[in-house]
Amino acid sequence: MILYRGELCEDRELPRLLERLEADCLETIAGQSIDRETVVAACDALARRAEAGDYDSVLQPFLAAFSIDPARFREALFLFKREALSYKLAVELGSEDLPDLTPPGRAPIRRRRMPLGVLFHMAAGNVDGLPAYSVVEGLLAGNVNILKLPAQDRGASLLLLRELVRLEPRLRDFVYVFDVPSTDLQSLERFAKIADAVVVWGGDEAVRAARTLAGPDTALICWGHKLSFAYAVPPVPDGDLEALADHICATGQLLCSSCQGIFLDTGDMGEVHALAERFFPILQAAARRHPPADPALRARATLELYARELEADSGGRRICRGGGVSVTAAPDSQLELGLLAGNCWVKPLPRDQIVPRLKPRKGYLQTAGLLCPEGERAALSALLARAGVVRVTGPGDMSRTVPGEAHDGAYPLAAYTRVVEVS
Amino acid sequence: MMTNSNKLFRWRDPYDTAGTEGLFAAAMGENAAFQAEGCLDYARILRQYGLDPGRLADLRDPAVLPPLPTVYCKRHTLRSLPERKLLVRATSSGTGGVMSRVGLDAGTLGRGLSMSVRVARYHRLLSPTPCHYFILGYQPRRGNDTAFSKTGFAFTFFAPALSRTYALVWREGGYRLDLETMKRRLLARAEGPFPVRTIGFPAYTWLLLRELEREGVRLKLPKGSKVTMGGGWKQFEGQKVEKEELYRLAETVLGVGERDCVEFFGAVEHPILYTTCSHHHFHIPVYSRVVIRDVDTLEPVPMGTPGLVNLMTPMVGSMPLLSVITDDLGVLHPGGDCPCGISSPYLEILGRVGVRDIVTCAAGAAEFLKGGTAP
Repeated sequence: MILYRGELCEDRELPRLLERLEADCLETIAGQSIDRETVVAACDALARRAEAGDYDSVLQPFLAAFSIDPARFREALFLFKREALSYKLAVELGSEDLPDLTPPGRAPIRRRRMPLGVLFHMAAGNVDGLPAYSVVEGLLAGNVNILKLPAQDRGASLLLLRELVRLEPRLRDFVYVFDVPSTDLQSLERFAKIADAVVVWGGDEAVRAARTLAGPDTALICWGHKLSFAYAVPPVPDGDLEALADHICATGQLLCSSCQGIFLDTGDMGEVHALAERFFPILQAAARRHPPADPALRARATLELYARELEADSGGRRICRGGGVSVTAAPDSQLELGLLAGNCWVKPLPRDQIVPRLKPRKGYLQTAGLLCPEGERAALSALLARAGVVRVTGPGDMSRTVPGEAHDGAYPLAAYTRVVEVS
Repeated sequence: MMTNSNKLFRWRDPYDTAGTEGLFAAAMGENAAFQAEGCLDYARILRQYGLDPGRLADLRDPAVLPPLPTVYCKRHTLRSLPERKLLVRATSSGTGGVMSRVGLDAGTLGRGLSMSVRVARYHRLLSPTPCHYFILGYQPRRGNDTAFSKTGFAFTFFAPALSRTYALVWREGGYRLDLETMKRRLLARAEGPFPVRTIGFPAYTWLLLRELEREGVRLKLPKGSKVTMGGGWKQFEGQKVEKEELYRLAETVLGVGERDCVEFFGAVEHPILYTTCSHHHFHIPVYSRVVIRDVDTLEPVPMGTPGLVNLMTPMVGSMPLLSVITDDLGVLHPGGDCPCGISSPYLEILGRVGVRDIVTCAAGAAEFLKGGTAP
């Protein structure tokens, strides 16, 4: 389905709509603007209606069908509410009117924060509703938004955005949603050509593809693909490991902020093996408290672990596996993606190696969950931050989502706007 | 050497799995012993899983042989025969750019030929009537070893070829899609006396047929014409091509009925020819057995339960490809569930392992964007 200026259209109408998209976007830019309050009020109304059960007939079967945790859904809903959005705006953009620029010896220059114009969002599909949230961010910054739905989208984004423009018709001309496949390069190039910036959520390949789509005159704003990990200082208390195991199972290790493995502040493999063996039953117990991960993901991890088991040379790795989870102790200190779905690694990384080992992974680092005595927290946080990590949290809240938080160390609303000076 | 295997591959009824259980196990044991002798790595793996390479001849249950995951085959080139004995080399289309390299010796090719003839005859694909082939794949050339370009070419021998038209032709140093020539020749052949056979990925076939339908093409291809497909649906999963839609298109556009739409399935690491029955099911032929394994424990699961697909065959002599686990998820159904009359169970492929929608088989398909991950 296509959402075009508030109207739902069939996919087969794509060629006709593509013809007029640019003219329609330009017409909107020439004649209309949206203020923050309109967007905030519309999102707030949408979130409140969803909370009151207005969309339950559609939402409940949807949440049930894809076993989405209602608590997580409520958490996501909060991000659309007035308090959350107003706070986000205040943190990221400050007030709408910037104070005048008063260079010494010159007349004051007026400054204004303006939208970039048109944003083309290529969103990720691993979090339901995230594509819609990306568009909301674009709207808060005042832009016209073209969204390409991810292949895995299960309908939540279209539903949310359609409702949003229905509740606030003034937003209609600022939202376009297309369900074109990633193979339809012609359409994607068209979107990118119209856009002032391409906003891409995804891995290296998505970013590389977006680079080829965006001309030299089009900005590229990339979010993700990031890796996160835990950093532990022995002796590690059970409580911290339990919180970490819960986090791993709750997120299935699918988020950029999901823990892929544990670096232990040691150079001794004996300590690494001991921690892996201790963490394994804790992870198994956590897995039993959460719904099982997607069978296709579990199957991939099982195959990979089995293939490693067949290797003549284990490379010093030792694997504990069973109960749908695994912990691999490995001697290298490389940050790598785990096998997902409750399969993580434990590796040695003495603190004096944090910067030399992690800094080269620039551009991939996101959250570090820190498991250490209170007295060392400040120093280790600073060290991890210097290595390139953008968020240091406790072991249980590595994937927390709170308003005003930066995406990968930057503020999206600032990236989606420009400063215009008028003298 | 390999006497049981040779006997199995000459079995009269290609779907008599019930009547060949003993022979199949004997052939597997015989081949496993041969592999263990020729391939040190395989002997080590057998021992690692508690099997004595010296006592494989009395193997009763081939499912106890440790299956090799295709990821392992991609990382290691396993050989039990010297390079000079390998007559044909093929590579899989590659997952993440890593390919399995498979080399086949004369004995293996002989068994393969015997199998192909029997299966093709059973499904009425062997025909003395010459026909025109339309191949929705690569024109073969030196340097393109992917299995599809080879098998696609091989299929053109089931019936004598009057002509071969390729969708992807080699021109000026690269493959180019030439649907125009294909369309033009197809229109011409419809007027002629000889049957037409199309060969290609289902998704490509569907694209071609849809294109022709849009242009209002309505042909009645000569009797005996067939739409044959192989290589899986995976590249175009996002487009949700329904098989029924494809059969409808074949009927409308080419005048080829549903019964004449045939699909093949096979893997480089498991070169068995699976062919759909009249009800479009892949029944297991005598040459192989399929075990579905639990996604967590790898233990065999009962019929009807989905899991990882473990394919077994004693066909290959040059490499220890007796038992492989593919990257597919599938389910086995009892033969009796299919009204076609074949009694052996049939395999249904449900999808690939890994993160959904991350497309891995890039053979000929356009560059795909990976489904991204968010922070």
